[in-house]
Amino acid sequence: MVDGATANLFLDAAGAKAIGASIAIALTGIASAIAEKDIGTAAIGAMAENEGLFGKGLILTVIPETIVIFGLVVALLINSA
Amino acid sequence: MSRPKQMTRAVIVGHKSILKETIDALHDTNLFHVEDFVEDESGFKISKPFKNAEEVSKKLVKIRSIANYLGIESKKPVVQKSDAVLRELDSKLNELDRTISAKTESISQLENELKDMDTQKKEVLPYLPIDLDFDYFRGYENIKVFAGILKSNLEASQISSITQAYELYFDPQSKAVVLFVANNDADKVYELLQGLGFKELRVPERGGVPSELLRSIEQKEADVTRRIESLKGEIESLKTKYADFILASDEVLSIESQKAELPLRIATSENAFIIDGWTPTESYDRLVSVVNNATNGRAYITNLEVREEEEENAPVEYNNSKAVAPMQQIMDLYARPKYFEIDPSSAIFITFPLIYGMILGDIGYALILGAMALAIKKAIKSDAVADMMNILIYCQIWTIFFGLIYGEFLGFPLASTHEEQGLLPFWHTVTLFQSIGGEAFTFPIHRAHMVMSMIILSVVVGLIHLNLGYVFGFTNVAREHGMKHALLEKGSWMIIELGVLIAAIGYVGISALMYVGAAVFVIGIVMLAMGEGIAGIVELPSLMGNALSYARIIAVGLSSIYIASTVNDISFSMIWADHSKIGFAAIAAIIVFILGHALNVALSIIAPGLHALRLQYVEFFGKFYEGGGRKFNPFGYIRKYTEE
Repeated sequence: MVDGATANLFLDAAGAKAIGASIAIALTGIASAIAEKDIGTAAIGAMAENEGLFGKGLILTVIPETIVIFGLVVALLINSA
Repeated sequence: MSRPKQMTRAVIVGHKSILKETIDALHDTNLFHVEDFVEDESGFKISKPFKNAEEVSKKLVKIRSIANYLGIESKKPVVQKSDAVLRELDSKLNELDRTISAKTESISQLENELKDMDTQKKEVLPYLPIDLDFDYFRGYENIKVFAGILKSNLEASQISSITQAYELYFDPQSKAVVLFVANNDADKVYELLQGLGFKELRVPERGGVPSELLRSIEQKEADVTRRIESLKGEIESLKTKYADFILASDEVLSIESQKAELPLRIATSENAFIIDGWTPTESYDRLVSVVNNATNGRAYITNLEVREEEEENAPVEYNNSKAVAPMQQIMDLYARPKYFEIDPSSAIFITFPLIYGMILGDIGYALILGAMALAIKKAIKSDAVADMMNILIYCQIWTIFFGLIYGEFLGFPLASTHEEQGLLPFWHTVTLFQSIGGEAFTFPIHRAHMVMSMIILSVVVGLIHLNLGYVFGFTNVAREHGMKHALLEKGSWMIIELGVLIAAIGYVGISALMYVGAAVFVIGIVMLAMGEGIAGIVELPSLMGNALSYARIIAVGLSSIYIASTVNDISFSMIWADHSKIGFAAIAAIIVFILGHALNVALSIIAPGLHALRLQYVEFFGKFYEGGGRKFNPFGYIRKYTEE
């Protein structure tokens, strides 16, 4: 059994915040990466057919970046709370 | 905010005898977008190309293949008279063709010779250790010669056990063997050699000692290579001599071939022709006068009334001032606006560089990137590059502006904060007021110290940007479907936002306003449901996502600051580590400083640029933009290398 006091030993408030922030960043980062991977592969495939699609492909590839930005915002909110 | 140029649909009718003059005139004005004629039951047919079309396209193919072979690229134009080019074209083209084919032929001949010599060399090489004249290898009646390579060693005793009448040359290192024996013993000796893994090699047909043969072959090889080099040099000099001519004649021939092939796109009967197409309304009068002048008024031009469904199909030409024109590149990257849509070029002329500047906001990087853009613009004379560099320069102007507000230079704070000295000793940070979360709102704004305020500020900027999009959408829908639709489809979103805003004010201060806000919010939702149905309600949360997406303005900016200040920290701690003398650490520090900031400069184009662009395309355009207009592509040619 772990009582409150022992838990506090491992997780003081600042530590818990830091871990929360890091989870927010890490998971959203992975999520963006997975999404961008798929889009990027498709974009390269499209570019092989038609080089003019570079601009569109580039923009489509950064679209999932919003996910990690949300993570970053949440991390900043946790940190300043 | 502007709309694409207004278009007039024009039709030119005339007798076939003036077709050529009409086409010439249209081509010169470069104002008429020809609509391809599709054959139907009207009795009109598409015409045949002009007689010279085949000849022109043949020459064009020839000149392009020569240009391709010589690797001629477009460059700073030397303008020539087009009729002079045409006069010289045939003779020069033939001469060029002849010289090039003669030279390439001799080059390929010489290359074949080189290959031959290579095989000769390979034949001679195995015999090199034995160095016996090849004439001795042949011409005997009673002697058999075995020449080749063995797998294992051969001792003279092994042969002498078979016969005494032999002459053996053997190199134990390369295992090359030449063995002369009497014909009588040949079979036995051959068996022995086979047991040792004998492989017969061809004896070169020429006589002479291998080492001398090899030397002469190598000499010849060097000679031939030199000749090939000199021929290639001559072709290279042809390139510099004829580059202007090739570029100019390519242009002249392209123009001729465009003109010659236009009849394939228009309607003709036995004696008459009809050219159908679009021209910007402002240029219609000029088009009429030019065609009338060229044909002595014998062609009949009229403008047609455009029906609404035809209008959708009108070609689209931007209608922007010179300053805004570079933004059209950004628009085309996404999609050209439709004919009846608002062209947002002038809006993104402001918002794109503004958001870029807000993200980057560093005087040092702005100066570096601005100087780079100017230099590239000077060095590369290309319209597309110039447009891109102009956009980059617009961005840097805003970056300097925000750099002053943020007080940043290459990641260093310019003004002092409470704890540390800034780069400029006289500039102190002033606290303006206390804002959100106990953060002090200061000037200059230290982004890393007031993250929460900056997030809220970015989202507010985003909301303004989004609402600009709704206003555009409102005008688009109002023009197309009327005021009621516009209010329900786009106005409802603004009312919903208004409701949230009132409720938020109520939450912070006057609580009675909360109910008012909620009521306004509900009205907005009802309007939205009427305008867009259930799909609109489902999209409601995306409004929050769109607004929060603008938080990237501060997030991407912070990442740039952290990279810059990390580089600064590393290099400065290296310099201060041992400042008694300038040694290895100081030099390394300078290298770290330069490389680190070079990396960050490169990132400073990509990251803020892409994110600012994304905010335009996804968040902003999503609120109003359809796109997919047809490009206005006038019949004509913009001359670069020739003039009339």
